[in-house]
Amino acid sequence: MSDLTTTIAGLRMTTPVVLASGAVGYGHEYEGLIDFAAVGAIVTKTITPAPRPGNAPPRICETAGGMLNSIGLENVGLAAFLESELPRAAGLGAPVVASVAGETDEGFGELTAAVGERDEVAAVELNISCPNVERRATPLWADATRVADIVVAARARTGKPILVKLSPNVTDAVPVALAAESAGADALVVANTMPGMRIDTERMAPALGNTTGGLSGAALLPINLALVWKVAGAVSIPIVGSGGVRAVDDALEYLLAGAVAVQVGTALFTEPDTPRRIADGLRRRMKEEGVADVAEYVGRAREYAT
Amino acid sequence: MHVACSPELTLRRPFSVAGVPSAGEIEILFEVRGPGTASLARRDGGDIVSVMGPLGNAFTADPSRLPVLVAGGIGAAGLRLLAQSIADGGEDAVVLVGARDAGRLLDGPFPGTSDGGSIRILTATDDGSAGFAGTVCGLLEATLDATGREVRLFACGPDAMIREVARIAGERDVPCEVSLEERMACGVGACRGCVVPTVDGYRTVCADGPVFDAARLVFEEEPGV
Repeated sequence: MSDLTTTIAGLRMTTPVVLASGAVGYGHEYEGLIDFAAVGAIVTKTITPAPRPGNAPPRICETAGGMLNSIGLENVGLAAFLESELPRAAGLGAPVVASVAGETDEGFGELTAAVGERDEVAAVELNISCPNVERRATPLWADATRVADIVVAARARTGKPILVKLSPNVTDAVPVALAAESAGADALVVANTMPGMRIDTERMAPALGNTTGGLSGAALLPINLALVWKVAGAVSIPIVGSGGVRAVDDALEYLLAGAVAVQVGTALFTEPDTPRRIADGLRRRMKEEGVADVAEYVGRAREYAT
Repeated sequence: MHVACSPELTLRRPFSVAGVPSAGEIEILFEVRGPGTASLARRDGGDIVSVMGPLGNAFTADPSRLPVLVAGGIGAAGLRLLAQSIADGGEDAVVLVGARDAGRLLDGPFPGTSDGGSIRILTATDDGSAGFAGTVCGLLEATLDATGREVRLFACGPDAMIREVARIAGERDVPCEVSLEERMACGVGACRGCVVPTVDGYRTVCADGPVFDAARLVFEEEPGV
């Protein structure tokens, strides 16, 4: 009764509530604050081959219904991740999904191989969609051919599930989603943050040190939910919804749209107990409705697709 | 302490613990600056507010040196507990409290000599309406010139004041700890949102701080200078 177990291409999770990369660091920072028994998986901070200092501060800024961040992929680098952060993340009690970002296709491939061979890593998330470090005219996340090349390179280097985190900042997410799917991705995370900015009127300067940042939080939910809706109608691999999930109904909306799980990020800043509240809320709702398996909600609203 | 000031706001707001009146009870002292503090100011006694903490580190004492506390504006909130613990220990300290004008001076919350310790409070106002006429940093230099004792500085206040206190401390080779403020998201060192540049690279105010050795901070060039 009330089974929340969710499996994504062999990644077995006790709940469909996943901690989003970036918000949760390497997981252990939140020990004692997040109830990891309610967490389906922890997606660790995106790792690059070498340590990155990140962008100049200020790096965060609140905005109505959410926040902006321009952290700039600050991370300890692959070696320190494998040496100290990963073992600590793995001790928290939820499966660890390692998020990686390479400079090149082969860079993604090498990172995937390095994290994928570790027993503590249950799956790999390819971060092709960080808005704070991209400098190309056509951003990586909007380039279906390059995304396919990256997924092929990663696929060749691990047998573990590969998730690809898409960007909402595209005219049409479907070609990129299809490219990732046909290149061998096991699941898609839909989606990352949306670029935005605020200006500090007192200093008369951009509020963020990097000028623009990624919008996250409640304001992002309708945007990314529409993307999930659209992408779910185009691909056959599982989708993890991400963007503005704060409460059980937000999570349920993503499931009803076709996602099999959700990621929670910004809501952890407001309330670290969010995963427990969502998991308990889902169980309560399932009990009330006599739903035995949470998967029964997945895509239920799609019968109204026009 | 990381305080959820309003259900309308995504981010909690960080506050120093200004006092511990009894076991299980804390005081925070704040100035209404934005929607978070405005919402907090509207709360009534008995309201329930979600609080995470205490987070981060604290000032470190050196009993061999005279503590000189430098508080600028609402920075007094970050130093009050330290002053209280010095007073409770019966030790001496000098507290320098600065503000734009007499009406904004926050010397009131500090324990005075009447509370048993030997806490000397000196004030400075930019407009000269009370105490030393000038900035609290000007008062600090005058105080350091006058004292014959080895001093340890503790400072909390606006960025420009912190920068100046750090400069004075460096010039005179006086150990100095500063408590910093930054916009903060997670509060636990996970998101890397509240970093400040130090000689060791970026460090988080929430988990590595809020207290830093002033000599290890890296200050950017002042705009227009």
